[in-house]
Amino acid sequence: MLQQFLVVAGLSSATYMLTALGFTLIFGIMRVVNFAHGEFLLIGAYTVFVAQYNLGLDYMIALPLAAVVAGGFGIIAERLVFRRFTGDETGGMIVALALAITIKGAVTIIWGVDSQPIDRPFSGSFQIAGAFIPKDQLFAAVMALVLVAGTYWLLNHTRLGLAMRAVAQAPDVARLQGITPWKTYPAAFAIGCALAGFAGALAAPIYGAEPNMGEAALMKAFIVVVLGGLGSIPGALLAAVLLATIEAGISILFNSSIAALASFLVVIVVLLVRPAGILGRT
Amino acid sequence: MAALTCSALALSAGVAQAQDVLRVGVIGPLTGGGAAWGLGLDGGVKIAAQEINQDGGLKVGDDTYTIEVVSYDDQYKAAEALTAANRLMGPDDVRFIFGPIGSASLLAIKPMTEREGVQLYTGAWAADVLKDSEYVFRVGPTTQEFAPSTVQWVKENKPDVQRIGLIAANDETGWNSQKIQANAYSEAGFDVVTTEFFERTQNDFSAILTKMLAQDPDNIELDTAAPRTAGLIVRQARDLGYTGSFTKFGGFDVDELVKAAGKQYAEGVVGITMAAPDTEVWNRLGDEFAKLHKAEMNDYVVMFYDAANLVFSAMENAGSLDSDDVVAALESSAPFEGSVGTMTWGGGEAYGVDHQIYRSVVMVEIQDGAGVVIGEAKLN
Repeated sequence: MLQQFLVVAGLSSATYMLTALGFTLIFGIMRVVNFAHGEFLLIGAYTVFVAQYNLGLDYMIALPLAAVVAGGFGIIAERLVFRRFTGDETGGMIVALALAITIKGAVTIIWGVDSQPIDRPFSGSFQIAGAFIPKDQLFAAVMALVLVAGTYWLLNHTRLGLAMRAVAQAPDVARLQGITPWKTYPAAFAIGCALAGFAGALAAPIYGAEPNMGEAALMKAFIVVVLGGLGSIPGALLAAVLLATIEAGISILFNSSIAALASFLVVIVVLLVRPAGILGRT
Repeated sequence: MAALTCSALALSAGVAQAQDVLRVGVIGPLTGGGAAWGLGLDGGVKIAAQEINQDGGLKVGDDTYTIEVVSYDDQYKAAEALTAANRLMGPDDVRFIFGPIGSASLLAIKPMTEREGVQLYTGAWAADVLKDSEYVFRVGPTTQEFAPSTVQWVKENKPDVQRIGLIAANDETGWNSQKIQANAYSEAGFDVVTTEFFERTQNDFSAILTKMLAQDPDNIELDTAAPRTAGLIVRQARDLGYTGSFTKFGGFDVDELVKAAGKQYAEGVVGITMAAPDTEVWNRLGDEFAKLHKAEMNDYVVMFYDAANLVFSAMENAGSLDSDDVVAALESSAPFEGSVGTMTWGGGEAYGVDHQIYRSVVMVEIQDGAGVVIGEAKLN
């Protein structure tokens, strides 16, 4: 059972990282709490469904397409909805909630409430050292880690990433250096939403695509980000591992209800000791 | 009410003279987990109402009524059901409500509806649903009624099965049903080696299944898990190396389960439904259901179609819309013909009131992605 626990915790950690990464990226750079993050994940999942069933595309083509579509919607949302709420956390939250309800409602009207089946790119599992590793979840976890690494590289080794970090740390000083936030924000939002779209596209073959899938994802992302520290990417990654490990361990030892309780207790304890989160800025 | 869905369906048969309108309510999960059942409930009632309206309306005494169905989404949550019931009983002036599906939802609104004499025709499963009530009728059999028969089927048809794993939702419905299943399997001589609960919103069951599979069950009873959830459990269990069988004796929807599990993994799953798929009745109601909802046809359409016809017939027989008159007419109407067989009332010994419908229940096995009838379950 120990080996299986490690597999479950590991696979979940990677998925949580990817789900949370875009959320914390947007907050870190724009100070916007994107409560529509789950619905961009939903857009990614339904893009895969449409690509497969309406356009006849293979999943491996639908996957990056989902990120592009979600990122595109992100750019539109940033320009039309979120730009005026940059720095206004409360206003950004409210308008994000409104956007989330709108997107979910549109998906429900167009495709109904039923879960839509997604052709699985992989089926079955590997058996290693007594543990079963489902192939589709392994693929999703590997892709998640690649995207996390890619985002890290983008932020730390490209001019765009440098600009984003500068704007995040000191927007006024960044302006003085010729870095225009209004060019950086769309890029940050697009990347954050594209990451959400990727997460949705990776989850869709495993869990199906249905209108409510964004809510659970948002809740998970929010917990991870708050635990790790709003705006802290290393914090989000660490929190994802911590949360996944606690959930897997407590679920196996006791049950999933106690696991959920334990997760929230950990969040409370951490925030009491470090109100900004594990690696958040105080 | 953030997720309120209100659809008032006024169906006119084109009758020349003006008719009074009889509003009936629907409360059920029209979105989220359990939506398959909620939409089935809504569709079944609306199809029955539509047919009556097209035939000239509901004749109650000297009056003829056009039936209008007012539907609210409770998302399988008690708080939403309370809000819906308040709305139906208040501004909508409804005295006859079909639903809820969730036991927690029903138990939340029952004190209010009993006090006001508002009738509930429910699919909720908990034993307490019918206890100490005058105006609640359960329109489909539950684990209490069919568990001995379905467990006996397992004993006779799966001789290699001895160790049973039970998994159910962590709510009133799941607790109640799993207790009955565990007793039924134990009394039949099986070993119930593991029982687990999950949250209705859960999608990932890897951790729960890791714990369950460590006990080496031969058969996993999916009980009252929503069909899509059951499909996910089947798939994830197979991916974790489980090679035993699955039974789902509680709320079966072949299409939803196959979609979630995949055709290969869903092969051999056995469940029970109120009507055999791909029959004349199933297909006819399915065509009508497709005009109302973008969802797969399921047996809850049949169940609530029959229930609605039974209630409307009782109103006509009573010649009155007075709640007590309709209750008396319902109670004296047994046996009555449903769309797929004879139905009657029972349950007095278990619940203290004979407001539990007894109707035929068929055993269905998933073969090559489709449901195939393999027998009938006799009710307890």
